[in-house]
Amino acid sequence: MYTLRRWWDRHALRVGLISLALSTAWLIRQTQGAAIFETYQVLTRPFQSGPTRAERLENAQLQELQQRLLELESQNQRLRELLGDVSNRSGQEVIAPVIGRSSDHWWQQIILGRGSQQGVTKDAIVTGTGGLVGRVIQVTSNTSRVLLISDPSSQIGVTISRSRSMGYLRGQAQNRAVMEFFDKVPDVRPGDVVSTSSFSQLFPAGLPVGRVESVDLRKSPAPEAVIELSAPISYLEWVIVAPNPRSADELSIPDAGAGDAE
Amino acid sequence: MISLMQWNAQHRQILNYAVTIASVLACLFVLPTRLPGMELLGVGPNWLLIWVVAWSVKRTPLQGTIAGLSLGLIQDGLTALQPTHALSLAVVGFLTARIQKQRYIQEDFISVALIVFGMAVLAETIIALQFSVPRLGFAASTPHRTLAEIWFYHQRIALSSAILSSLWAPAVYYPLNRWWERMNAAEQAQA
Repeated sequence: MYTLRRWWDRHALRVGLISLALSTAWLIRQTQGAAIFETYQVLTRPFQSGPTRAERLENAQLQELQQRLLELESQNQRLRELLGDVSNRSGQEVIAPVIGRSSDHWWQQIILGRGSQQGVTKDAIVTGTGGLVGRVIQVTSNTSRVLLISDPSSQIGVTISRSRSMGYLRGQAQNRAVMEFFDKVPDVRPGDVVSTSSFSQLFPAGLPVGRVESVDLRKSPAPEAVIELSAPISYLEWVIVAPNPRSADELSIPDAGAGDAE
Repeated sequence: MISLMQWNAQHRQILNYAVTIASVLACLFVLPTRLPGMELLGVGPNWLLIWVVAWSVKRTPLQGTIAGLSLGLIQDGLTALQPTHALSLAVVGFLTARIQKQRYIQEDFISVALIVFGMAVLAETIIALQFSVPRLGFAASTPHRTLAEIWFYHQRIALSSAILSSLWAPAVYYPLNRWWERMNAAEQAQA
């Protein structure tokens, strides 16, 4: 008893410090580093630059195109309503700056400078100029973390827009992905446009994803195509976050971890 | 420095803790940034690994392991819970402390850079092993990556992360080491 007491007297501080360090680390792990991302967002705020002049010109051009698109979309919507197809699209989009990339090399993630206070929700769809970028997997009050579609763990049901050949997409880091087809002999050519299919459980159908770069029909067990993602995943600066129309209904994803596929 | 000597031992200790924790936070905040010159094939330096090596070089294996474990748990929180970084960083802390560099090599910079290089390769290998073990049939929970993909990716990551981390290692090691040496000196002067 006495020796134990002496040991404790001598080592109490050290034991205390060790348990403090481990419990703090555990706490950060359990809260998914929310405090760290929040502080990071505040620290990087001065560096979140506004657009330059060239970008502004480009933006103006883009805006013109967008407005035309909007016009066409609303016409389309009206025609669809005439046909009885009611789309449940809500117009709550948030434009968010990309303030950081993944904190380690195995995951393809980005960190956005907008969070639940600005209306970002978990499972929201993230798109950039060019097409689909990813899906929000964690939200704090002012930041959110996005699992990119270039991550191998994010698997998406996709289709070839021209021939409607179905398959699923698996990320391959950077801006490449591999599409595995369900058919044995899919109708696909290099240059075909790939978009999300109605089989996708996590994403709404019809979002542009990329372009077929090369096709390997002899690959077993299923034919494969290499897809070049159309969004510039490596240079993203701003993205658009839109609420997920699918998450409202039956969707239930087991865990927050980046490892959930469909 | 003289002012540090005159400080009360307790205050000095608190300052020491504050500087140590601040350095960890600094490493955590650089982790998600990719500044120009800090990126190779989309991979940045592994700042937490550099910190663990800097901490463990002149400490006991137990201290190294616990530092690695704590920082690994934090990094898990920042990315994904599985596979865990705590294992790889704890092994790195333990091994770095076991090397007992100061007994064999007096010179500092290059040897630390070399240790960081080796440890970065080791850490990425441990994570790659964690990715591939489920493949071998222990748990079929991660059907995402094929073995070939994992190890191809591992080659790329391990090499660029090791090169970048070892180049940036002195930036973390030098100031921290100077600080801890001064604290030790002050403590011994007082004792």
